[in-house]
Amino acid sequence: MKGFGHFPLILLSLVLFALLPFLPFGVWQAFLLDVGFFVLLFTALALSWDLVARTGQLSLAHGAFFGLGAYSAGLLAPQLGTLPALLLGALTAGAGALVLGSVTLRLHGLYFAIASLAFSEVLRTLALKLPFTGGPIGLPVPPPFAGAWPLATYYLSFGVLLLATALSLWAERSPFRLAQAATRQSEAVARVLGVRVVQVKLWSLLLGSLVAGLAGGVYGMKTLFLSPYDAFSLGRAVEALVIPIFGGLYTTLGPLVGGVVLVSLEQALRLWIKEGYLVVYGAILILVILFLPRGLVGILGRRRG
Amino acid sequence: MGKVLEAAGVSKRFLGLQALKEVTLHLEEGEILAVIGPNGAGKSTLLNLLSGLIKPDQGRILFLGQDITHLPPEARTHLGLGRAFQIVQPFPELTVRENLLVGALFGKPGTSRKEGEAWVEEVLRLTGLQSRSEALAGDLTLLEDKRLELARALATRPKVLLLDEVMAGLRPKEAEEAVALVKQIRETGVSILFIEHVMPVVRTLADRVVVLDYGEVIAEGTYQEVAQDPRVREAYLGRRA
Repeated sequence: MKGFGHFPLILLSLVLFALLPFLPFGVWQAFLLDVGFFVLLFTALALSWDLVARTGQLSLAHGAFFGLGAYSAGLLAPQLGTLPALLLGALTAGAGALVLGSVTLRLHGLYFAIASLAFSEVLRTLALKLPFTGGPIGLPVPPPFAGAWPLATYYLSFGVLLLATALSLWAERSPFRLAQAATRQSEAVARVLGVRVVQVKLWSLLLGSLVAGLAGGVYGMKTLFLSPYDAFSLGRAVEALVIPIFGGLYTTLGPLVGGVVLVSLEQALRLWIKEGYLVVYGAILILVILFLPRGLVGILGRRRG
Repeated sequence: MGKVLEAAGVSKRFLGLQALKEVTLHLEEGEILAVIGPNGAGKSTLLNLLSGLIKPDQGRILFLGQDITHLPPEARTHLGLGRAFQIVQPFPELTVRENLLVGALFGKPGTSRKEGEAWVEEVLRLTGLQSRSEALAGDLTLLEDKRLELARALATRPKVLLLDEVMAGLRPKEAEEAVALVKQIRETGVSILFIEHVMPVVRTLADRVVVLDYGEVIAEGTYQEVAQDPRVREAYLGRRA
């Protein structure tokens, strides 16, 4: 199927990110690694959102999957160690997705968005009220591998992006893409053509939530502290959908390009303009959406699938 | 010859409106059956019930002897019950070939990508869409859209095909081509039930005609038989005061 034409570009950017810690940036090194970490993590989150959006489910629950992964991994890491905690964090997010998915099977587009928003709010309230989450005070999280390796969070983040990219490329190049596109464009017609719409939607939501949960787990290990308002932030769910819209929906390259450009732009603007950087950020977003309705990759002249 | 598709005493009510009332009809193997009737007679409701998009309040639907009343649409398609829509609904962001691949790959579970692609070539050839196979479905003309609608249903490899006014909006010359195509599809062993408004199409295409009015079957027979039925004339032309 389509999407393979961009493969060299995708591969090149991945190699660049893999080598970033070893490039000679002098005093900028630490700052760039920080930016790189967030670029990788939020790009992965954006890819995981796009994977779900390809079925017509506009998720506002990605902040919640992220938070579920972050809290579960943060709570389990002291007992189980870094990797098992991350894995269980992802699975917790996946379990949440199955709950959300099975009650929203008949919902589409904006209706799904509203239900997923409610889901998100419920989970944040739980994180505030449950006895073992630290409530509004928050939850300290140990660094990965007991802090033995300074580059650990960066490469964990890179790993999450690799996984997100691999899943997205698979979905884009396999018949699954047709099932997702058919489901998005008309559920009734897709069903009459034999597409198991319910399964396609549930699988997409599950895969997307696993990646989002994993990203959340890594995030906690970087910030070393979680609070319900940060981990379950609606702003993060919005960022997860702004990046694919900015870069190009329903593709692998779109969220990748969008994430690299937008997250670095945000970090750079924050550095240069400090107060009010969001005004410039917002203006750029609006301009791109107005003049590039198919996102940055629309410039490449490829159609959507 | 046996019954491939059967509706037995099927009723459907939408709020206050009795859309179908104990409708019983069947489709024979290899047959082309037309369901006609004035606007609002319940034809589209019948098709939606047969393809599973809505469920009947009463009655049963049998396909190849199996009770499919409670099966969802995709399961009916997997069994070999295909459907084309009246208002053409291509997936506009997919190419013609990809539209057909959806039907070919998912219409029969277990179809390999290679088999699906080969079958799509066959359907493209049969429906005369080869030259447009790489066009986006959103860019097609109405005639091409209608062909795609038929082709996509055919791509699911149906044993029975339900067609919802596929000739609507076509010019006579185009309708003739479409009629030829439907006949060709029947030659491949597919039984067909179609809804139609265009009477010349019904006359040339249908082996048998069922007439619906106010949700009930009021006549059944060959085109000549039902055309002379006084109840049918009344339904179409209005009752005498």
